[in-house]
Amino acid sequence: MDDENDDLVQQKRSLFPLTAEDIVDNALQSLDEQQAREVTKKAADEVVKIAVEKRKAEYRSDRAQDEMRNLINNANLLDEKVGDYKINSTFETATGTTSVEIKKSKTNFTLIIVGVALIVLVILLLILRA
Amino acid sequence: MLYILLLILIIGALFYLFVTRTNFFPARKLTRAQENANLIRVLLDLDDESREQLFSLYKEQFGDNAARYARQTYVKWKAGTVRPNKETFRRFLINLPQVMSFDLKCEVLRELREAYCAHDNYEVTVSTDDWQAKLTPLVEGILKKAMTAELPTSLQHRLTWLAEDDVTVANAILAESEARQTMNALALLENEFSNIDQLLDNTSGTSKVTHLLRLPLGTVTLQIKKGSADG
Repeated sequence: MDDENDDLVQQKRSLFPLTAEDIVDNALQSLDEQQAREVTKKAADEVVKIAVEKRKAEYRSDRAQDEMRNLINNANLLDEKVGDYKINSTFETATGTTSVEIKKSKTNFTLIIVGVALIVLVILLLILRA
Repeated sequence: MLYILLLILIIGALFYLFVTRTNFFPARKLTRAQENANLIRVLLDLDDESREQLFSLYKEQFGDNAARYARQTYVKWKAGTVRPNKETFRRFLINLPQVMSFDLKCEVLRELREAYCAHDNYEVTVSTDDWQAKLTPLVEGILKKAMTAELPTSLQHRLTWLAEDDVTVANAILAESEARQTMNALALLENEFSNIDQLLDNTSGTSKVTHLLRLPLGTVTLQIKKGSADG
């Protein structure tokens, strides 16, 4: 009975299509000794390559952190000394590129306040005259 | 008369919109010669060391004269000013792979994957609070794609060596490598978001931050806003 069950399981398994892992396993099994050695070496090289790339990325991350600190300082200095400013900055970071735009416009804000105040004044005058 | 002119203008504008939005005229199919030229160009994108190996192998297989011509012309092939003939294509992409080392085959395959596997570009708006939650499903999809990415079937039919056992293994190594690079990028992203958070916290005025996340099989453009928890 057990044997029968085993057969059923075997039959059932064979109905499933090959998975990506099966294909790779089959390919690995058919390599000769020399090819298998080359594969092992390449896989090890790839691991080293990824580790080196990661280290380089960490270095870029540290540099980007310093540059961002400088940007914060510069923006705050400008904030103290001038009313209007706009800074555009781009950093090469560990995972890509960060673009930053910092903008402050006191003049525009003042103009809006003055404009609103004038409109309110005109409306008030019109109401009083009526 | 004026109404007729207006009607023609409106019909013209509508037709233009239809054509541009629906891709009415599909991109023209490349000729075999153009396809070959593109493949040679991708092959010659190899790094210096691998390209040197390729030319040495070319010399070994096809002689000094052919190798000299290939070395003199490869810049023009790469730039597209000279189109390689059928024999050059056969030599580089049909004959040479049969004698390439596993290492060189892997590098050629890497270039082919980069040029021919579909690359996706996403654009997401996140805040410094919710970026992990928003990126997780996207990244899971990207990782899955890295593990299952395949070269186009037409290319696999033309370059039959791509179906050989050692290339299947090379493909698995490269797919795993791409997945690991994606994971590494995500681990590093945490630190980058901390930097961006600090920047948004410590500057007055309005700040607009965009981060282009480069992954082996695509890019994610992140429009980053200040998290609500930060105030």
